[in-house]
Amino acid sequence: MFETSPVQQPVQPPGQSLAGRAYLVRAGVSIGALVLLVGVIAMAAAKGETHIPLGTVLQTIANHLWQAGYDVDPIDAGIIWNYRISRAMVAAACGASLALSGAVLQALLRNSLADPYLLGISAGASTGAVSVAILGFGAGMVSLSLGAFVGALVAFGFVALLAIPAGRGAGAIILAGVAGSQLFNALTSFIVTKAATADEARGVMFWLLGNLSGVRWPDVYLALPVAIIGLLVCLWYSRALDAFTFGVESAASLGVPVRRVYVVLIAIAASMTAVMVSIVGAIGFVGLVIPHAARFFVGTRHGFLLPASALIGAVFLVAADIVSRIILDGQVLPIGVITALIGAPAFAIILCHGRVLR
Amino acid sequence: MSLELRSVGWNAGFKKIISDVSLRVTRGEFLGVIGPNGSGKTSMMSVLGGIRAPSTGQALLGDQPMKKIGRRNLARHIGFVEQQADTIDRITVRDAVALGRTPYLSLLTPWSGHDDAIVCEALASVEMGPFADRMWHTLSGGEKQRVHIARALTQQPDFLLLDEPTNHLDIHHQLGLLELVRALPVTVVAALHDLNHAAMFCDRIAMMDGGKLIALGTPEQILTSQNLRDVFGVAADIEIDDQGRCHIRYHAGNQKSLAIKKDRVA
Amino acid sequence: MINHDKRVLAVGVFAAGLISSVSFASATEYPLSIENCGTVLQFDAAPERVVSLGQSTTEILYSLGLADKVKGTGVWFGPVMDEFRDVNASVPRLADNDPGFETVVAQKPQLVATQYQWHVGPKGTVGTTEQFSELSIPVYTAPADCVGKDNAGGGDGVRHEGFTMDLIYREISDLAQIFDVEDRGEELIATLKERQANSLERVTASGHDNVSAVFWFSSPEINSDPYVAGKNGAAGYIAGKLSVRNIIDSNEEWPTVGWETIARANPDIIVIGKMGRRRFPADDWQVKMDFLKTDPVASQMKAVRNGNIVVMDAQSMDPTIRLINGIETLAEAVERLSASN
Repeated sequence: MFETSPVQQPVQPPGQSLAGRAYLVRAGVSIGALVLLVGVIAMAAAKGETHIPLGTVLQTIANHLWQAGYDVDPIDAGIIWNYRISRAMVAAACGASLALSGAVLQALLRNSLADPYLLGISAGASTGAVSVAILGFGAGMVSLSLGAFVGALVAFGFVALLAIPAGRGAGAIILAGVAGSQLFNALTSFIVTKAATADEARGVMFWLLGNLSGVRWPDVYLALPVAIIGLLVCLWYSRALDAFTFGVESAASLGVPVRRVYVVLIAIAASMTAVMVSIVGAIGFVGLVIPHAARFFVGTRHGFLLPASALIGAVFLVAADIVSRIILDGQVLPIGVITALIGAPAFAIILCHGRVLR
Repeated sequence: MSLELRSVGWNAGFKKIISDVSLRVTRGEFLGVIGPNGSGKTSMMSVLGGIRAPSTGQALLGDQPMKKIGRRNLARHIGFVEQQADTIDRITVRDAVALGRTPYLSLLTPWSGHDDAIVCEALASVEMGPFADRMWHTLSGGEKQRVHIARALTQQPDFLLLDEPTNHLDIHHQLGLLELVRALPVTVVAALHDLNHAAMFCDRIAMMDGGKLIALGTPEQILTSQNLRDVFGVAADIEIDDQGRCHIRYHAGNQKSLAIKKDRVA
Repeated sequence: MINHDKRVLAVGVFAAGLISSVSFASATEYPLSIENCGTVLQFDAAPERVVSLGQSTTEILYSLGLADKVKGTGVWFGPVMDEFRDVNASVPRLADNDPGFETVVAQKPQLVATQYQWHVGPKGTVGTTEQFSELSIPVYTAPADCVGKDNAGGGDGVRHEGFTMDLIYREISDLAQIFDVEDRGEELIATLKERQANSLERVTASGHDNVSAVFWFSSPEINSDPYVAGKNGAAGYIAGKLSVRNIIDSNEEWPTVGWETIARANPDIIVIGKMGRRRFPADDWQVKMDFLKTDPVASQMKAVRNGNIVVMDAQSMDPTIRLINGIETLAEAVERLSASN
């Protein structure tokens, strides 16, 4: 017979040394990851369409960082500092933001396949971009980026409004997002087939596949703060995100203000994604796969998962950008192609290793 | 500290799920909530647990409206165990239980040894101590339920609300769980579907039907042949033993009673 | 319609004409069979009604004095050449871009002339060649878009054989023949050839040495990789004729090439396109100029520092009759460059 016994000697909590060691390991991994990020950004500065000797690269960086005063050809210096390094920093910010948004949405919507574009953002961005480039909205005063940003927000607003009568739960949001994405994708196709001339269509579609070629320092001043603020806000809610482990009602019973968390975090994820998509186009797979990779390394606790996702996302996208520039001679592949080519098999490997579960 | 509902109603859209439910939970008791499917038990439990706000009426904790108390505070007094909560996350049992400390943690009060101790204590009281480092998905249904209860216990609640906690368990674990819960130093409100269990473990029983609380009293008062026939549509005899406990003897062949029950459904 | 005797006479004269030099102007003999882009077009008489889809083709028709026969136009890239402003005003414009099939057919044309196969061709957006032939409407495609060019891949296509002005001259003489105004056609061609020769002379006289250039059409985003002229297109032809080296080596008409590559190649002259279209902000030549002057890398190029930026009508960089203007503009720029050195 099952007997209740008086409270026994509690099982020994993990010793201080064990916890201490865990922290050391985690600290070591974090520092290692940061070093890796800096390293890959430096590599992005050194590699590109045209060949610039490593010495020149280092001299340029030295000149900018501590006024070393080396004599470097201004074009080479400009390429390294204004093109390549700014591009790498935006790639890092973008990778971090997309991965972070993906992790947050997967937790909130309780769905392993959630990614930031689920909210209709990339579909809306594409509609906005083609409206500017092909329909001529803004009569040449409005850039593709601005069009994409507005389109992204409109689509997101549409999805949010659709989710309300649909019940406001995770399932409703996902369905609304799918419906919204389909609608705006259809609009994009309609505009392109009906009204585009050859080079208009090509220009926009190439941009939409993910394009870091137009990035300069002003874009860094936008992307980097957005990524950092996004990370900080999401970290603030990391315990709340943990509380969603067993579902929305469970989180509510643990005292989490569910409605507020949903609104804030989805808004943050949507904003981060909209900003990134408007700067570099819609780069796929990052938001979906990187959180899973991060879980593989650091587990599911969001206090670790969120920074890990951000870091891995950053490194991944910078690396993908390098690859997209050097893989074909004299030509730059759209970065979305690279992320998909790497992301899909990587996802398969993660699935097969038995870490199917989140 | 008391937990009370005053004329509470809850609507889903335009449909009234529960209406005019008034109930006051006495400290230290084991209150059972019974009723046929669709009687509104789960909805009533959600409002009682502060998970949902009532559409009409008031839910009160310690004579204060729950609205004013705030989610976090409520969570420190009321632990809620859902009917069926699962996750595909790869977490350990310890992690799952540790989630219960959420209402006490913040940036200024991070995880500490005190929290570790509470987690261990909770695991011990549901006799899952040795399972602490096992993976969640390797547990059986009964073990998972016990971990849920442990999690609710780490909230250090005054009230423990359980929504059909024994649904997916075999008889050994059903009885074991209810015994365990009864022995805990908390006030328990449990929605039960097995009437004999209600008879065995509850101090009081609240009977619901069609969204209304139609009776509240001791098992002997509530579990009568008449009630069983009218509310549940079953024919049964009630036996009361020397210790005053009820045992329900069901009769087979319920077709006629089903017809009676059907008439009564609104 | 033509009786037996006249037909014999026509054949005789035609044969005589073939034997002697092709270049003396004679009246067109009908029925006329003329080869165009792999098909043979048949005309029993000079068409009275033609719809012209493509600004260059339209301007050629105007140059040949055939404005009264043009019953509808489409596919415009900018304002019509100044000298044709008045005649163009009385010609119905069916669409600024591509009109619909029925709109074109409603004009009851006896000939549809198109500048690009993108609009009328195997997969034309206005209509396919088959659709028009079902209604017995012949379609004349500008040789510049089909000779030595592969449009199957869509977009601007890939040019395998270098573009030359002969393709434009052929269009002029073809149309002149179809409309029985061969004398005007020859005059026009002669004028254009003379202008080209003059420009060449100017350049040779200036004694320039190894000048390089890049032709910038537009960009999807002002900072992103620009559309620049490949080596086989019209712009490449201009550069080649004037012994200017086009730094872009691609076979595509308007490939996208990164600023990094362009900056490293450091051309002597940068040609920027001026157009009426406003789709991308970079369509505006002033936006392009601003970019060159303010971008941290582009502004370091010697062409920008020395002020050797040439603003050229975008249609002069495309295979159109305005190409001659492009040759003249670039010749002028090379002259200036050599003078300043």
